[in-house]
Amino acid sequence: MANTQAMCTSFKQDILNGLHAFGTSVVRGATTADTFFGALYLASGTLGAATTAYSATSEVSGTGYTAAGQTVGSWNAPTTGSATGYTTPTANLVWTTVTLATAFDTLLIYNNTAAGKNAVGVFTFGSQTITAGNLTLTMPTNAAGTALVRIA
Amino acid sequence: METPLIYTSKGNLPIETLKVEAFWENTDTYIKLIERYTDPTGEIVRESAHVFIKEGIAGLGETGAFA
Repeated sequence: MANTQAMCTSFKQDILNGLHAFGTSVVRGATTADTFFGALYLASGTLGAATTAYSATSEVSGTGYTAAGQTVGSWNAPTTGSATGYTTPTANLVWTTVTLATAFDTLLIYNNTAAGKNAVGVFTFGSQTITAGNLTLTMPTNAAGTALVRIA
Repeated sequence: METPLIYTSKGNLPIETLKVEAFWENTDTYIKLIERYTDPTGEIVRESAHVFIKEGIAGLGETGAFA
């Protein structure tokens, strides 16, 4: 048996639970889970890894859509498997009877509890419009290889 | 027998008057089903999309080595 350099798998889970703070700028006011929102963005947008927070720039607009998006709801308790920390929302995101006439292709999930509305991830799903219809985003299986948010 | 109606951008229309099409997109990260209803003039009066996210996002956690 030898020692092996590695990031501890439990640390990956702890990050998702907000347990570690290497910096001094984050003040958590509660031990409850934060509230996360999902917002939709136009295909002409430029969201990606450099996105740091929610912004109304290039967000979709249309009948039945509320600016800033909607709550993602609860998440599965962060856990680990195959040396990956992961979590996934427990419910799908659904916009019912909306009209989004300008092509969009992106979902931004962000922390609505954080004062800065800090970004979590950008998810793309191909250019789309909706006319008097529904948009359903069905969450992946909450597993090490597929979960919506993973630290591998 | 009542005529089934469906909500569209032009109000509730008899579904039998509309052309219904389904399109699929299957990529590495998502599967998308698009339902499209077109009226006799060719106008899209209802369109929905259902996206199944196959796989979310992953960040790589690594430790550095001493120089």
